[in-house]
Amino acid sequence: MEVAYQIPRASLQWILLSVFLVIAPQSIYMPIWITLIAFSCLLWRYLIFSGRLNYPSRLMRVVIVTFTLLVSIAQMRSLGVGLESASSLLTLGFVFKLVEMREKRDIYVVMSLSFVMCMVAFLYSQSLLISLYVAACIVVIIATLIALNRSSLQADARSTGRMALRMALQALPLTIVLFLVFPRIAPLWAVPVQATGGTTGVTDEMTPGDLASLGRSSELAFRVQFENGPPPLHQDLYWRGLVLENFDGSTWMRRRYRSAYGTAAERGNFQFNWENRVLVQGEPLQYNVILEPTQQPWVYGLHLADPLNRNLFQSRNFEIYNNGLISKRFSYDLRSYANNQTDLVLLDSARARNTEIPQRGNERSIEFARELRGSVNTDRDFVYAVLAHFRDNPFYYTLNPELLRDNRIDDFLFNTREGFCEHFASTFAFLMRAAGVPTRVVVGYHGAEYNPYEDYMMVYQNNAHAWNEVWLEGEGWVRFDPTGAVSPERIELGVEAALQDDLAFMEQSLFAAVSGRFSFFNTLRLRLDALEYEWNRRVVSYDEEVQVELFERLFGEITEQKVLLLLVGLASLVMVAVGLSVVNIGPRRKLDPVTQLYQTLASELSRIGLARKTGEGPLDYRDRVVAARPELAELMHDFTALYVAINYKPPVQDEQLARKQVKVLKQRLNNLRAALSPLRGSRAQS
Amino acid sequence: MSLISVNADKQAAAPILDSPFSQKVERAVGEISKALLGKDHQIRLALCCLFSGGHLLIEDLPGMGKTTLSYALARAMGLEFNRIQFTSDLLPADILGISIFDQNSGQFSFHPGPIFSQLVMADEINRTTPKTQSALLEAMEERQVTVEGETRPLPEPFFVIATQNPVNLAGTYPLPESQLDRFLMRLRLGYPDQKAERELLEMNTERDKVGLVQQCLTTADVSQFRIQSAEVTASSALLDYVQRLVAFTRSKDDFSYGLSPRGSLAVMRAAKTWALMCGRDHAVPEDVQVILPAVVEHRLRGNSDEDGHSGASLLQRLLNEVDVIA
Repeated sequence: MEVAYQIPRASLQWILLSVFLVIAPQSIYMPIWITLIAFSCLLWRYLIFSGRLNYPSRLMRVVIVTFTLLVSIAQMRSLGVGLESASSLLTLGFVFKLVEMREKRDIYVVMSLSFVMCMVAFLYSQSLLISLYVAACIVVIIATLIALNRSSLQADARSTGRMALRMALQALPLTIVLFLVFPRIAPLWAVPVQATGGTTGVTDEMTPGDLASLGRSSELAFRVQFENGPPPLHQDLYWRGLVLENFDGSTWMRRRYRSAYGTAAERGNFQFNWENRVLVQGEPLQYNVILEPTQQPWVYGLHLADPLNRNLFQSRNFEIYNNGLISKRFSYDLRSYANNQTDLVLLDSARARNTEIPQRGNERSIEFARELRGSVNTDRDFVYAVLAHFRDNPFYYTLNPELLRDNRIDDFLFNTREGFCEHFASTFAFLMRAAGVPTRVVVGYHGAEYNPYEDYMMVYQNNAHAWNEVWLEGEGWVRFDPTGAVSPERIELGVEAALQDDLAFMEQSLFAAVSGRFSFFNTLRLRLDALEYEWNRRVVSYDEEVQVELFERLFGEITEQKVLLLLVGLASLVMVAVGLSVVNIGPRRKLDPVTQLYQTLASELSRIGLARKTGEGPLDYRDRVVAARPELAELMHDFTALYVAINYKPPVQDEQLARKQVKVLKQRLNNLRAALSPLRGSRAQS
Repeated sequence: MSLISVNADKQAAAPILDSPFSQKVERAVGEISKALLGKDHQIRLALCCLFSGGHLLIEDLPGMGKTTLSYALARAMGLEFNRIQFTSDLLPADILGISIFDQNSGQFSFHPGPIFSQLVMADEINRTTPKTQSALLEAMEERQVTVEGETRPLPEPFFVIATQNPVNLAGTYPLPESQLDRFLMRLRLGYPDQKAERELLEMNTERDKVGLVQQCLTTADVSQFRIQSAEVTASSALLDYVQRLVAFTRSKDDFSYGLSPRGSLAVMRAAKTWALMCGRDHAVPEDVQVILPAVVEHRLRGNSDEDGHSGASLLQRLLNEVDVIA
């Protein structure tokens, strides 16, 4: 009978720990029942180890494989072929392999898979926290591999952990170098990433009164750092996203272009000479935005923004689009002209588009608008009159408004009179258009939180906002915010200030509420976010472009030879460093100075072929050296006599004298060396 | 391979300085070498052993001069000595002594055996049975003898010089490790070199040479050596070296067992005495290396050692692989 391989007790604990650690982050994204299966497999493994359960039988394994296959098919059907279905398949396979592992080979398979699982964690998130976590996981996996190869006598968990940590730290320089210089090759295949919540950020459709809640998510939308000069005032922070021009009576929609978004062809479509339509004054504001993934192609910026990145381009409505969906954190630079006038001459087609309202419905509002327009002289006065109407009548700003029925504009304007930015922007635009004034809805974000620790701003999902742009003769498109007329706090202080008494809102953003009220938590939160920001800016957004930039700054123009030279140089540098540290790993005892001097002498003499043998005492060595080199007799005798005196005679009590002895010994060593150097030469000649 | 290897000698020992002790040693060596030609180093080691207060085991083939050396040592040191010829029918009482009923006094009186002597020569010790061998044990270690419930001290100084044939010769009872350990040194004499042998042949005599040996040391001298050798400095560097040696025997797989603490003490004692005999007040690593073969060879045994003769090769490893300076 063959002898069964026993998984060492100590290493099994390590294996279970590392498997648990690598599964844990995935469990947030996976369906709960897969997580349950995973953890029960861990338990099963433990019970096998403690002898209370057996290995799965052949039948059991067939059942498990079939089950896994069915599950993965079901997953693909419900979730589509994507990250989540793939990773839950991987997880299932991983934990089932864990249960049936018997041989050392199986353990290696499981541990290699653990590394893969670590990488999968990065597909979901690349935050600082998860990176640190994965680093810890890797240390534990290394420790597992070490434990696997140690005998039970050495298997002290602490020393294993220490060794793993030391190995990980030794790998750190190489990792950094590889991170900096390894070519960023575009992936040959891409995992279709499906974040659980689907798309985030503002959408390209807006149906006021449909959704009864909005803007409660305290998730981050993007971070902004102003590079030249101070940021604008809070009330001017309108992060322009999309322009919605089409209205069908309930929904505002973006103007659809013929080609689909996110293709290169679209870029050509958007090419136009925007300087002709724009008048700008003053210095532009330059800033960097790091956008959280939205799964949408558009990005946000202050009006009027001029994108500096290659892949960003601008639409005719001065929206900014990326060439492709934003599926991972995206960093871009913008230049904004706060003092701008756009489209002083409005094309007929644009005028028609922006004054169009549905033929039927909302008759009361249309009538109200035409009446009001008749009572004032200019379009601008009309705008003010409408804003005044919002302000002077009992309109309320709330995130939980009543739902609107049939004629939504009428219902809102004369009946419910409560809502949030969408309601106000939509109604305002409708009234404007009813009176023939070209108006459009703009969606984006408003406001930001300033983080003083790294000097940047944070914009959250609850900063989402909608406002209007009205075309006025001689001024072009001008921004108006009807929400500001109703709730000035919303514009000046932000959504939280506007809704301080709204219990429902505060409950949902509990953390924000707590942090807002206790300065300690607030400071902590801002500091953590500042760390995260630095991480994103310096590590996560380090892509090919930045890499090339860095190299050009360091080494001038990049040539193939230079890159090759650099790679080879860095690699060899790191290997030499690692090699040296490996050589020095053994315990190194500190020699006392006398012994050191003696060793120096021995190594000097070894160069003329008279190396000291390991078991050779000082007197024997002296005699041998003198026999071979009579000319050294006197010096050798002097040196050895003193060495023996210091080392073997009764120790000198006087410390000063002892120091002097060492000094004299050093002197005698130097005399010997001086006598040796000509001998070396003669030996080389002979 | 020869049956018996001579001790791995280091003839070129540390230089001998002029001192009352070294002079006495010179004289003694001079006297003894009248009887045993060309074996100065072995004589020196034997003296070192006795000056350290240890017992000496001389092992070699018959006719190599074991007994001669023992006689010569006894004579040169002027010690009262008894010789016991060990045979297979020797009984413990023959060594220790016996109580005999005295008809005159009507009492038992103790008749001390040959062991009650300053120097006991146990000739061919491995020819006797283990029972008799072990009778020597208490005497050698405790320097006292217990016969019929009464403990009697042995004279001071008390030395045992035992001789034995190599254990793989016929009719021998090998000494157990416990007893070997009680001998401070085991010497091997080896064949005389050509010059000494020629001289020997020219003299054309057998045992008479021993008569030429004059007493040149006294009991007082011997005890003086013992007291003074304890005063010899063994620096921490030297102790380190000895500890490294001992650790080597205990950690390497080739050794079936390591040196006992008695063994390491023996090394130190002998090294100090050697240093004193060389006229120094401090011991150096070379002293340790000189006495090491005689002191530890019989205490070591290799793993695949049937007859207890791998000590010499193990000792070479000790001398070569343990760093003197570190």
